[in-house]
Amino acid sequence: MAKLSQHDLVVLLLAISTMLILSRIAAEFGKKIGLPMVMGELLIGVALGPTVLGAISPSTYSTLFPFATNVHVSLALDAIFSLSVILLLFVAGLELRLSLFLQHGKVAVYTGFGSMILPFVTGFAVAWFLPGWFHLDSGTDHLLFALFLGTAMSISALPVIARILLDMKMLKTEIGMVIIASAIFNDVVGWLIFSFILSMVGQSGERAGIGYTVAYIVAFAAFMLVVGRFILNRSLPWIQSRLSWPGGVLAMSLGLCLLCAAFTESIHIHAILGAFIAGLTIGDSVHLREQAREIMHQFVTNFFAPLFFVSIGLKVDFVQNFDLGIVALVLGLAFVGKVAGAGIGARLGGMSGRHSMAIGFGLNARGAMEIILGSLAFEAGLINHQVFVALIVMALVTSITSAPLMRRFFEEKR
Amino acid sequence: MDYSKLKGRSSYPFQTLAVAVAFSPRLEAVLAEAARLADTFTAQLLLIHVGKRTSGKEAVLQEICGRLGIDRESRMIWQSGEPISCLLRICKDNLVDLLVLGALRRENVLRYYLGSVARGMSRRAKCSLLLLIEPKVSGSSFQEIVVSCVAHPKTLPTLNTAVYFAKQVGSRKIHVVREVDQSGLAMAMSDDSPEGESTQVKDQLFGQEVMALQNLIDSCNPGEIPVNSKVIAGRPGFAIRQYTENSGADLLVINSPDGRYGIIDRIFTHDMEHILERMPCNMLIVHSRIPD
Repeated sequence: MAKLSQHDLVVLLLAISTMLILSRIAAEFGKKIGLPMVMGELLIGVALGPTVLGAISPSTYSTLFPFATNVHVSLALDAIFSLSVILLLFVAGLELRLSLFLQHGKVAVYTGFGSMILPFVTGFAVAWFLPGWFHLDSGTDHLLFALFLGTAMSISALPVIARILLDMKMLKTEIGMVIIASAIFNDVVGWLIFSFILSMVGQSGERAGIGYTVAYIVAFAAFMLVVGRFILNRSLPWIQSRLSWPGGVLAMSLGLCLLCAAFTESIHIHAILGAFIAGLTIGDSVHLREQAREIMHQFVTNFFAPLFFVSIGLKVDFVQNFDLGIVALVLGLAFVGKVAGAGIGARLGGMSGRHSMAIGFGLNARGAMEIILGSLAFEAGLINHQVFVALIVMALVTSITSAPLMRRFFEEKR
Repeated sequence: MDYSKLKGRSSYPFQTLAVAVAFSPRLEAVLAEAARLADTFTAQLLLIHVGKRTSGKEAVLQEICGRLGIDRESRMIWQSGEPISCLLRICKDNLVDLLVLGALRRENVLRYYLGSVARGMSRRAKCSLLLLIEPKVSGSSFQEIVVSCVAHPKTLPTLNTAVYFAKQVGSRKIHVVREVDQSGLAMAMSDDSPEGESTQVKDQLFGQEVMALQNLIDSCNPGEIPVNSKVIAGRPGFAIRQYTENSGADLLVINSPDGRYGIIDRIFTHDMEHILERMPCNMLIVHSRIPD
């Protein structure tokens, strides 16, 4: 078995501890001034990466993060970042409850579809008809890029939205629940489409495989959500009562997550789909204790999430790749598509005009989910540096502006 | 048919009580329960059978009715067709206030997903339903009643109907229960929160629900019957099912569903489907005729 040398191990541990400690300090500081925690983590990535540290002291940067010079440390870090994103998608799925969407009937269905379809169509159309605006590389698959941009515009950030609603004392109101239900729909459909897009990367000459890919994704999701849920609902009470608590349920849940991730990766669909669906399956069970859910959440969000978000800044030079035109275009698309789509949907579902606008701005928050989506697309070569940076900026701007804009429409009403 | 009398008709008192007649081993027990309840509520009794009318069935029914003394002012309706649609139509045409049905506590997987008559009626109820899981010829007792008080306009009429029912049958105690779904809260607190913030938010939420529940209780008149109010955390439907099982209650009272529940609601179980999956005891589903 190949082993890391003592020096490699020291560098690896140093890199991880630097990322963890600094990102935590930045996140706490950001939180005090009302910024999302992910923003602090991203900024530390930018500071430690080629944008700042790489420019000021290239030797320190390459010693701490020897991506180009030390293949062992580079591979180990890559494995940790991959595991991080898999577990992040697992806890994202863990939070979603499909039944919430069914509970809220017509208005949730209209809002959910509206907030999905219009952003998708506008994102797809602009990317398809005006590819030059995004300075696409020559090798970029045009169709997949357009599909990706549509998906990126239609996704939402459930935890950010839930927090905004809680702060506004609206979490348990009808409007609050409609927003949550619609965001659940956006996320589930969005990640399914994104998995499809990722699985098609590199198969541009084999469009015949599309049918198989769609069939695999649908079959896997349906199997897990129907048969898997059924089995899990019967085995979870046994696991929780017979195995040690909480070790038993944690090991089994994370094991199932990695098993599903391995399975989807092995059938050439990205590992994130397996992790996401495993999270959905486990999280939807009435037998999963809140405490177990919380422990899994804390484990991932306090260790793996900072590493992943810091790693984003390590990969890209944010200053060099900041293109104001693309940033403005992506921001405009994000706001127009989501606010109009969700607003029209909510209006058709029976909400008042002002409440519909508030719902639109509520669902506009993209948060960490968009950053994960953009990062995976960048890794897969679907988007260039400039579009990636624009997506990160869009995720942050929509998350920060969502609450004040939503509040404005509710307060004017009062 | 003139349905104007149905509009805004109160869910109680029960003036017309119907019983779904299925020629099963539990027929006599279900009929005995219905007859006893009709007496208790001084309601007119209607016997409904959806299926072919044969002399054999008539003879069996006549014999049982004779034994139970059901012949006074009761009527028998025979109709062929799809059971649920026929029952719904007959109940509507005859202004039925309460339909009594026998139901299994738990059905096998296939039957649950395909749907039985009792569960099918529960999902589409257009009049109040009483589902009896262990009907007895000697009569079931309804000593302790649990009322699910979700935040919904239908809940106050449901609570009033439950109180009316409890007074008529001589119940000993009413548990008025509200479920608090903490799922959204967990999502909102998923980003790190200062120590104690999560507990504080949960306490606030519970406090609001306790007050709302108390307001609801103040709006009804339980008379001498003791009322135990309780706010519980958990998934709607599932939490109250567990509470009912643990409290050993004889009857669980819930609102009729908004809209129709379909197969997708059974796969992604929520609200009433958690209760129908495994009924904790007898159930009264109150249809308060408030527009959905």
